[in-house]
Amino acid sequence: MTESINTINTTPFSRIFKPKELEGYRKDLLSKNDPNGPKVLVCCGPGCQPSGSIEVAEELKKAVAEAGWNGKVIPQIKMTGCHGLCSKGPLVTIEPDGIFYQKVKPKDVSEIVEKTLLNGELIKRLEYKNPATKQTHSHTKDIPFYNRQTRLVLKNIGHIDPFDINDAIMRGAYSGLAKALSEMMPGQIISEVKASGLRGRGGAGFSTGVKWESCASYPGDRFIICNADEGDPGAFMDRALLEGDPHSVLEGMALAALAIGSERGYLYVRLEYPLAVKTLIQGIRQAEELGLLGKNIMGTGFNFELSISRGAGAFVCGESSALMSSLEGKVGRPRPKYIRSVEKGFRDSPSNLNNVETYANISDIILNGSKWYKDQGTEESAGTKVFSLTGNTYNIGLVEVPMGTSLREMVYEIGGGIPKKREFKAVQTGGPSGGCIPKQFLDTPVAFGSLAKVGSIMGSGGMIVLDEDNCMVEIARYFTHFLVEESCGQCTPCREGLIRMLEILNRITKGEGREGDIDTLEELGKFMTDFSLCGLGTSAGNPVLSTIKYFREEYEVHIQKKKCPAGVCKPLFNYSIDANECTGCGKCRLRCPVNAITGEKKKPHTINRELCIKCNECYKGCDFRSIMII
Amino acid sequence: MKTLKIILNGKETTAKPDQTILEVATENGVFIPTLCHSTALEPAAMCRLCMVELTEGRRTKFVTSCNYPLRQDAEIKTDTEVIRRGRKMIIELLMARCPDSDELKRLAGEYGANLSRFEPLNDDCVVCGLCARVCEKVGGKTLTLSGRGVHIKVNTAFGEASPYCIGCGACVQICPVNAIKIEDVEDERVITIHGKEAARIKLNHCDTCNKYYGPVIDLTKVMERLGEKTIPPPNLNLCPACARQKLGKRIADRYYDVY
Repeated sequence: MTESINTINTTPFSRIFKPKELEGYRKDLLSKNDPNGPKVLVCCGPGCQPSGSIEVAEELKKAVAEAGWNGKVIPQIKMTGCHGLCSKGPLVTIEPDGIFYQKVKPKDVSEIVEKTLLNGELIKRLEYKNPATKQTHSHTKDIPFYNRQTRLVLKNIGHIDPFDINDAIMRGAYSGLAKALSEMMPGQIISEVKASGLRGRGGAGFSTGVKWESCASYPGDRFIICNADEGDPGAFMDRALLEGDPHSVLEGMALAALAIGSERGYLYVRLEYPLAVKTLIQGIRQAEELGLLGKNIMGTGFNFELSISRGAGAFVCGESSALMSSLEGKVGRPRPKYIRSVEKGFRDSPSNLNNVETYANISDIILNGSKWYKDQGTEESAGTKVFSLTGNTYNIGLVEVPMGTSLREMVYEIGGGIPKKREFKAVQTGGPSGGCIPKQFLDTPVAFGSLAKVGSIMGSGGMIVLDEDNCMVEIARYFTHFLVEESCGQCTPCREGLIRMLEILNRITKGEGREGDIDTLEELGKFMTDFSLCGLGTSAGNPVLSTIKYFREEYEVHIQKKKCPAGVCKPLFNYSIDANECTGCGKCRLRCPVNAITGEKKKPHTINRELCIKCNECYKGCDFRSIMII
Repeated sequence: MKTLKIILNGKETTAKPDQTILEVATENGVFIPTLCHSTALEPAAMCRLCMVELTEGRRTKFVTSCNYPLRQDAEIKTDTEVIRRGRKMIIELLMARCPDSDELKRLAGEYGANLSRFEPLNDDCVVCGLCARVCEKVGGKTLTLSGRGVHIKVNTAFGEASPYCIGCGACVQICPVNAIKIEDVEDERVITIHGKEAARIKLNHCDTCNKYYGPVIDLTKVMERLGEKTIPPPNLNLCPACARQKLGKRIADRYYDVY
């Protein structure tokens, strides 16, 4: 994905010598490349690429080149970033009509070219099926997953080729920087960001404008750093931004540098995102060539040099002081932050560290004004937030909604609810630092304070929907195990506390739980919250504490009755077929990998417990809900 | 310079800006237990034993007293119920690591810790980092904390016996749980950590008494560190005891007639 399939027409040797020239350059591009012309946008994001979307794009290239267009405008084929609805990929969108095709395979391409591109006909089998209405939708605007979102930060992703800066410029990239350079003083930029109410999108939710103002007040060489070490399991918001619209982040960092007074910036990208590193390197290079980054930006004398540093597989390096230590080439361990990093951070100098999504918000705040931003979201949490909605919903993918949207709306309207009529159990938010929110709080609005009030956090935007088939004790054990692996090990509470919590949870899920285990878990959890050195430790107790708070009975059944009601902890349950419900269809018998199920056609089947390995295949496949967990 | 008004366990006192809570407490005779702290080294705030309750303005929070810089008027409580429970938990967790440590047993007695609350790990180290920090500052820079999480441990480069050790024994002396062993065997000094040899250094030989003493180290480096470039290093074939005898004899010989 390192070359554009159709190169954008542009004037050779371009460079912007004055901020006002950018607008002329942009208009020139638009005159040569009709924004409303026919395009086929193929999603090559983190979900669709492994599903074969690049092959689909290659096929489209070939088929479009070979087709007879008879004077019609030949559509452009663009490989873009994430389209959002990842569970239905590979996704293909056809503009300007906004036709949405899902689960597209290379063998579907010739039909798409023949029917849709040449003759305007829709292909029903590729359309999105609405689980609530059972209807299909052919256009993005009719799909509730999309029309109930407010895609502002994500507005370019899926529409542009991330490897071509001109595509981004046509949609407004660097216009915010040009405006700031020609009309605003650094103090004014900071005031606008403060007034907008933007709060850090990495999870801590600290006022971005206040952080910038604070950093600017300390003397010394100041550094602008981007935390692209997105580590929460299941979170891919930052990844989509970096791989789909890198310039939104680069421009945000340049605006920060202008406001705070810095000439040097770093992006710390986690090792596991090599594609993001590619899009960023290409982006920085192309921007420097045009004079939009680097030395003497747009001829104003403002310099901002950006470099990329890669992580090495440590979740703890997403913590700001550990990140800066790693960036310095030292071991990635947090330090106690009684002196804030805006005062003494990277190389003991004033440093401004913000999350990827936070920077991506800045340009539009400058272009549209702080009031435009503040008017969205809620009083205490302005703007929109990008979430990765995963777990047991019909629709899984990237979602952007205004702050204040309810969890219910996210799970049911946008997520499409839970398939196969299973019961909702909880939403896990905030990754390993967050907690589980049960059914009774579904109407809680998603915002910084409101989720904290019910015992979780919004975090960086991970949202995992759990249903009756998920075991809350196992969920707590999963996150605790993750943290045991990722703790830096410096302080006693986190290093020792986590391993002891894991010991207890392992015993409970194996059926060896004891009286007093729940109390010990609570004591350890609260102790870690109060006494740990860094944010990883102080929030490490949350998964366990929140599941104990809302699902205590589930823990008690595991410990006292040695049973797992959700059918997850293998030693603690068995599968059994309800003879009254079983229709004898035989589906389970055919799926069973160890031939543990016997029965005649149309007669109730039985499971041989001696042979059963509890792989879950029969339970997943049964359409009559006749397999019980006992 | 501005003086800060501090209320320490209900008593009014003062502090200078950027003094740590531990310094102020020590000045006022208030004892706060520590494990990973040494006045000779920069604080690490790793053991968390010294945590106290701090109220600045309207915010109350738990902070480590060894490194928290006081910059405004504040109220400090060093011995609340929550803090005592936390210290007890730290000791219980560390006892499970090092069941044989006398220092931990002493602390356990004071905070009522249950010595066998958790399954013992049978380690001998409390991961306080003091040995690594002192080696970095005054020693041969051979020890560090390597690894992550529960696998973190005091180690030499690549886990191999280190050629950089100067045999000063600072690590042995500073370890609060006596986990580092030092032994002079014939003409070698052996430092053992986690049951493994961390360094083996040759000892100097005294031609007078025929015994071995002091490690063989590159004295020019030591002299440089002391800033003493012009004073020649001493004669290494003479141990301190024999050197004293020799000097004493010289003085006696010179002044014999007078005395």
